[in-house]
Amino acid sequence: MSDAIFEPLRFKNLEVANRVFRSSIAGRFDGWDGSGQQARINWEARFARVGVGAIISAWCGVDRRGLIVPGYASIEHDGRVPFWRELGERVHEHGSKFILQLAHAGRQRDIPGIEFRRGLSSTGKADPLHGFEAERATPAQLDEIVGAFARAARRAREAELDGIEIHGANGYLFTQFLSSAINDRTDEYGGALLNRARLLLEVVRGVRASVGDDFHVQVKISATERADAFLFWLRRGNTTADSVQVCQWLEEAGADAIHVSAGSTFPHPLNPAGGMPLREVRDNYDGLISSGIHAFRNYLLYRTPLVNRLMQRRWERSEDEVEGANLPDARAIKEAVSIPVLCTGGFQTASVVRDALSSGLCDAVTIARSLVANPDLLDVWRAGHDRPERPCSYCNKCLFNLLENPLACYDERRFDSREAMIAAAYAVFDPPPYGPG
Amino acid sequence: MTTVDTSTIFEPLRFRALEVKNRVFRSSLAGRFNNYDGTGNQAHVNWDLKFARGGVGAIISSNAPVHPRGLIVPNYAHIDRDETVPFWREVVRRVHEHDCRYLVQLAFSGRQRDLGGIQFDKGWSSTDKPEPIHGLRCERMTVEDIRELVRCFADGARRAREAGADGVEVHGCNGYLITQFLSPAVNNRKDDYGGSLGNRARFALDVVRAIRAEVGDDYHLQFKITAVDYGKDLFPWSARGTTIEESVQVCKWLEEAGIDAFHVSSGNSFPHPRNPAGDFPIQDVVRGYDTMISSGKHTFRNYLLFRVWPFNRVFKWAWERTSRGRVEGINLADARAIKEAVSVPVLCTGGFQTASLIAAAIARGDCDGVTIARPLIANPNLVELWRAGHDRPQRPCTYSNKCLINQLENPLGCYDESRFDSRDDMVREILSVYEPPQFVQ
Repeated sequence: MSDAIFEPLRFKNLEVANRVFRSSIAGRFDGWDGSGQQARINWEARFARVGVGAIISAWCGVDRRGLIVPGYASIEHDGRVPFWRELGERVHEHGSKFILQLAHAGRQRDIPGIEFRRGLSSTGKADPLHGFEAERATPAQLDEIVGAFARAARRAREAELDGIEIHGANGYLFTQFLSSAINDRTDEYGGALLNRARLLLEVVRGVRASVGDDFHVQVKISATERADAFLFWLRRGNTTADSVQVCQWLEEAGADAIHVSAGSTFPHPLNPAGGMPLREVRDNYDGLISSGIHAFRNYLLYRTPLVNRLMQRRWERSEDEVEGANLPDARAIKEAVSIPVLCTGGFQTASVVRDALSSGLCDAVTIARSLVANPDLLDVWRAGHDRPERPCSYCNKCLFNLLENPLACYDERRFDSREAMIAAAYAVFDPPPYGPG
Repeated sequence: MTTVDTSTIFEPLRFRALEVKNRVFRSSLAGRFNNYDGTGNQAHVNWDLKFARGGVGAIISSNAPVHPRGLIVPNYAHIDRDETVPFWREVVRRVHEHDCRYLVQLAFSGRQRDLGGIQFDKGWSSTDKPEPIHGLRCERMTVEDIRELVRCFADGARRAREAGADGVEVHGCNGYLITQFLSPAVNNRKDDYGGSLGNRARFALDVVRAIRAEVGDDYHLQFKITAVDYGKDLFPWSARGTTIEESVQVCKWLEEAGIDAFHVSSGNSFPHPRNPAGDFPIQDVVRGYDTMISSGKHTFRNYLLFRVWPFNRVFKWAWERTSRGRVEGINLADARAIKEAVSVPVLCTGGFQTASLIAAAIARGDCDGVTIARPLIANPNLVELWRAGHDRPQRPCTYSNKCLINQLENPLGCYDESRFDSRDDMVREILSVYEPPQFVQ
């Protein structure tokens, strides 16, 4: 009997062996400047080895001002191509496809680095979560950004990767334009929905013109923004209905698939939904204390017991609210477009995924945290188990550790010992860049 | 141009088992160029090559932990397992291409860890009292722990030799583990490793003897020592630390145990107002040194000290007054006291960048060579500038210490914008350490 999970998925320009994509997840494995390193290759090869259909790369910056955190491999100049080619080859050896996620942080940077104090955005207002200052981009600067995406996409093709994903979700630059809660412009890039979508549509057209018609281009979008979910004084932002309209425009502009996520920021209570691990936040997210203008507020938020309990309550979602939380949005979009729709959000139960696929809620699922916890998730499903024995608990410790520590599962309860957990985290450095011989 | 004869700087320096082409060593300094687990990356090779190309006689590597529990900060290259040897072999091979010698600094942080990492919650120390600057907790080593670690130092030295390095330096200073044993202000043990000077020096002597036994007699082995604790410079209420008389005695014992050279520094913590002497760049501390806020027990005190006026003004003033006007050569008097007592060469560190001053120090017999970190970051071609007849670079190191404070979050480099034509030039110079990248066509 055929299993919907393991059926191939055909896009216009790409065929993927099954319906499971490793969703974008980063880790500071590379050079501070964005040059790629061996550990990144080791990390990605891990998921290819267990047979996910495709891997969507870590957050990959297209220009230096748009970088999010130092230490993520970027693709802002031609010198980056050899690294990505090597990575693509290593992933292809296992039959997986590799899709490069092209991104621009705008004002939402976790660590701004030394080059640009302010990020470019739709607005001049500081990021409300981190407090990083922003500069309102001029139309000329936006033209440059469109060009940067087009060149980055061309490089991805030169590196013989299988496609690109334009990161239009989770609060980064395109969300800052799309969102009615953030975009306060009065020019042709602000106001009406079509104006707010203009930058993203220009980028899709620019990329399409640069790579040609026969290269896979998908777009990731936050279908529901809920900008008020944590910082309750903000406006709500775009609704699913707004996003359905945007996706129709994206299809017309040349997108081959839509990838559905949620939330007006990253992180956001809806994405990655689950826990707010206070100790990890406090110990590892000091960038929020030191880099922005909300230093004292964030010091109190993270370090004062009463305040941080309240913050945690507002943030956290229980485990059973996480898996498949974006499926209703994916379905609404799928009904309105004729290209495949991918959906992210805590998937790790075979029956949940199978039902979503066979009832047409989406065409594939993308998974990040659950694969960090169980890189062999597909083998577990193939062996007939519905869920791994030690599932991801959505505690989000992986996320909050990654700024200072290697990206990995940090939920100690999932391991026999703390030593076993650390050994698993360090496995990404094997093999090292300089081996014997 | 100088009229003083500086030719001694360019004379070879002969140790018992090593010859270095001139009197200038790049002192140990690290940036977080490597992987979190201590495996080395290309950027580290690029970094060391800057100085080999600039003409120094030898390079002392960044702090290389001999055991993962001894890291100061993740992302420095370790020498704690045999798998690290190929990386060091590559560094050494590339540095040798420039007729420059390479010494690996064998190190163990103890309780003084800026960022302890995920493997070990507590550092090891002679004591179980927390480290006073950050408030980092630690565990008192048992005698078995000490024996195990002595073995790790010996293994580290063996690996350095296998990698083709020209020698090793035992990092016995600046508040790291060996200082924590040597210093009476820190060491509160009642066993064979605490109390009398002979007992406090026992760990260092055990390490040196074990290394010598492991690598044999024909391999260069030097020891970096804090000549004087100067603990009261930082905390006026702190107990009496190591004096110069005690250090002289320790150096005599170390020489008997097989040390080929001493490297003289000062201060019983790192950072310390005397080392690296100079400014306390409060803005850069606020941005780049948040680990002081997040990793120890003294988070709120440090938040106030660094971020709240007037505490930060007072702290900056107190820090800088110690070395005001006497950064360059600050340790020469201490180096001389040691040199008079031992028969092996003595190297001295501390802000050197004026050729005539160095030549005079060598001529006076204060030391046999100098080791330089910050002024070489500012001017990697310092030796070439001196050779061309300049006494000092046109844009000298200002001892702003921004390099040091930035290296936790940003690439190690010179962050004193006043030394560059523009901020863009500064950033370009900093990022040049990533050229070439690991993966090229």
